[in-house]
Amino acid sequence: MEEKKSSHYLTGKEIRAIVKSNNKIIRVLEKKKHRKAQESEFVSEMKDARNILEVENLHSYFFTDQGVVKAVNGVSFEIPQGSTVGVVGESGCGKSVTSMSIMQLLQGPYGQIYDGAIRFKSYDFKRDAQGKPIPIYEKDADGNVIMEPVTDKKGNPKLDRDGNPMTEPKQKRDSYGTRQFEMEEKTFDIAQMPIKEMHRLRGRQIAMIFQEPMTSLNPVFTIGNQLDEVTLLHFPGSTREDAKKRSIEMLNLVGIAMPERVYKSYPHELSGGMRQRVMISMALAGDPRLIIADEPTTALDVTIQAQILDLLRELKERINGSILLITHDLGIIAEMADYVVVMYAGRIIEKGTASEIFHHPMHPYTIGLQKSKPTMDSETDSLFNIPGNVPNPIDMPNYCYFRERCSGCIKKCFGDYPEMVQVSPTHWVACHLYEKEETE
Amino acid sequence: MSEEDKNRKDPPLESPEAPAVDREAQKAEAQAAREAERADLEKTKAEIREKKQAIDEASRARIEEAVKRTEEIRAAARERSAEEANEKEVAEEQKRISAELKATIAAEKKRAAQEKRIVELTTISATEQAKLDQNRECERTGDFTLFDDEAESRMEARKHELAAFADRDKAPDPDALLEVRHLKMYFPLKKSLSGKTLLALRAVDDVSFKLKAGETLGIVGESGCGKTTMGRAVLKLYRPTGGQIFFDGTDIANFKPREMRPLRTKMQIIFQDPYSSLPPRSTVGGILSEPVKVHKIVPNAEVKDYVMQLMEQCGLRDYYYERYPHEFSGGQRQRICIARALSVKPQLVVCDEPVSALDVSIQAQIINLLRQLQQQMGLTYMFISHDLSVVKHISDKIGVMYLGSMVEFGDKKSIFSNPMHPYTQALFSAVPNPNPDVKMDRIVLKGDIPSPANPPLGCKFHTRCPKATEICKHVAPKYREYEPGHFVACHCYPQEDE
Repeated sequence: MEEKKSSHYLTGKEIRAIVKSNNKIIRVLEKKKHRKAQESEFVSEMKDARNILEVENLHSYFFTDQGVVKAVNGVSFEIPQGSTVGVVGESGCGKSVTSMSIMQLLQGPYGQIYDGAIRFKSYDFKRDAQGKPIPIYEKDADGNVIMEPVTDKKGNPKLDRDGNPMTEPKQKRDSYGTRQFEMEEKTFDIAQMPIKEMHRLRGRQIAMIFQEPMTSLNPVFTIGNQLDEVTLLHFPGSTREDAKKRSIEMLNLVGIAMPERVYKSYPHELSGGMRQRVMISMALAGDPRLIIADEPTTALDVTIQAQILDLLRELKERINGSILLITHDLGIIAEMADYVVVMYAGRIIEKGTASEIFHHPMHPYTIGLQKSKPTMDSETDSLFNIPGNVPNPIDMPNYCYFRERCSGCIKKCFGDYPEMVQVSPTHWVACHLYEKEETE
Repeated sequence: MSEEDKNRKDPPLESPEAPAVDREAQKAEAQAAREAERADLEKTKAEIREKKQAIDEASRARIEEAVKRTEEIRAAARERSAEEANEKEVAEEQKRISAELKATIAAEKKRAAQEKRIVELTTISATEQAKLDQNRECERTGDFTLFDDEAESRMEARKHELAAFADRDKAPDPDALLEVRHLKMYFPLKKSLSGKTLLALRAVDDVSFKLKAGETLGIVGESGCGKTTMGRAVLKLYRPTGGQIFFDGTDIANFKPREMRPLRTKMQIIFQDPYSSLPPRSTVGGILSEPVKVHKIVPNAEVKDYVMQLMEQCGLRDYYYERYPHEFSGGQRQRICIARALSVKPQLVVCDEPVSALDVSIQAQIINLLRQLQQQMGLTYMFISHDLSVVKHISDKIGVMYLGSMVEFGDKKSIFSNPMHPYTQALFSAVPNPNPDVKMDRIVLKGDIPSPANPPLGCKFHTRCPKATEICKHVAPKYREYEPGHFVACHCYPQEDE
């Protein structure tokens, strides 16, 4: 018992040493985040052109006074264009931290992306020499730009000094009435991007649906106000009227019956399901390529959950985007995801297509997780349970993190942390059991 | 649009006189109808008053008779004592006799009050009766244009109260450990100046069920359907607005907190959130030994041994005794909560979403522990959860709640093999299936659960029901038994015996 205590207990001296070394690293990383960078510094190339997001060897750490918490410790996965990737794991396994890292939303200065690359293929505005987006103008049959009169807020034509009506080139608008600009595909390395540049992507290219719709909407602004902000920020040249039109379209899109009324109401006037719909419409307003849904239905009832999942599936088809779905419910993953990533204590232990993971799970943890969840069809008397708890995130062991809870340990498990083993073209697992098969 | 407006405005301009007369006539007619109704109401009130007076007189007569009889007995006793000359005995006997008399009078008064209430409920004015007849007619023809919803809802409330009165004096089921009859739990939202409730949130509205010893009852439903409130009302953590709760054959619904105290050892609760339900300032040992000491479960000297044994049973290591709750993870804390609930050797444990705050792998541990303890100690569980798969795993009987009422109740097997209520069917189909190849044809309910302060008329579920018909909007379905032990309240099934 004495030994146990000593491992938890830190003297003041030790804490001071930890804080000092932490601060050193944090300062460097914070400086990097706030630097002024040329675009060339964070533009990179995708490894596979079909992917929309590639996370490679990501390390996200929290520098606490008790020591460094390696919340995400060497995670690599990719999201192919137009597919849904599900991340499962227990609470504290680093699935939320992974998504926060992709958005660069880790709570600084203690939470930092320490190492790794997050490559995201964005569909960004083409910019001219001054860094301004280039508008697309409507042209008539002869290829001449169509001019339109400039009007003020009331709709009256504006006049120049000589009293002639002013004209400007007519800009192309999409079906929602939002102004169009020339776009180009660019790959950014989010891990290298300064925070200021992240504003281009956040809410525009990558949108996030948070777990609790109750706390993620601002209670003092109307829904309309909060929705308009997305359009006003991300679509240059759009007016309040444009934004309102687009917001109401978005509310319509997520199946809200009276969008005008919801537009004017405050978050507390809506129910949980409605708020989550509003959150989804907010995510869609930026016309994103990737939606990160961080436990989108955990705070909702089963019947409302069914509604929201239906909606997400339908919207994915419509906007031709990809979804990164983070949840602890295997049922939701099975229903929604094409690819599944299983995380445990900050590392990926298994990844593959949904049917591989659900029909041929390899890792003892995945197997246990599936057996421990009672299902509607099962008729077992007692549930399988994985004994014990997740290890302490500070000073993780250097052997397999699951060793203490595993039922199928072999001699090799007392050695190093297992490498990822490929068992089929799409199926990877980090377990010594399958390594052995390969070498033999 | 503008032309239509004109058309609408035109007729009164052409003939301003004729409709005016009509209006006058209509007004007069309405006035007459209102007066007739008022007169009718007065008549009914007078009738009720008369009947009440008759009841009062009858009860007064009975009380007087009882008093007379007591006097006679008393006189007889006095005579006897004069012969035997034992003053002490006489005094005691006199005391006993007067106590008896008091009890009889109280019972008589209660009976009279009840009878009066029944008279009030059963005497229906002619206009009201006419409205109800019309409603029945509507129901028969299937044309609901003339349906009077207000009269129907008034009648519904009367019927509920009468049913509660009718069941009041029935003896509780000797097999059942817990029997709940017509339980109501209203929370006042608005009160008048005199303290009368004007608007109430009907969290639990007329719920009845029986639970045998050693069984597990699973209660499922959406958030806000009143499942937690019902669990707490059963334990008398709230004061129920109406209804009866029989625990082991005694009605505890009107027990005072002091009277409840000895019963607290027999019924316990495990709360949902293990993070906020443990006192942060006491050690695990302190938390677990306090109820044992308060209720004197074991002699003080043996408390520590007893607690240690309990901790071992619940899968807690012995060196946790000196530790504080913040040092534990969620699963361990829930184990502490379970150990605390079981420390007084209860018979009934209400588990209020015990696993919903935990991870999947820990959930399985806790569910297995609960089952194992049930087998060891013969516990009876009331398991409240919104997770259907967990409820299915642990329960013997299942009750499905919607907006304060039980819509379906029955054995696990019959409910899962044959879900009858559309809400149950939708609820079951909404559970995600962890098999990616099975594509489910799911019933997705539209909209949200309505507010329990202002529930919809008719069947409460009709606003979201995929099978709703016209009758569902106006008439509340009866809660009837269709298979042995399988109760459903839905218009999809015959409402009357054939």
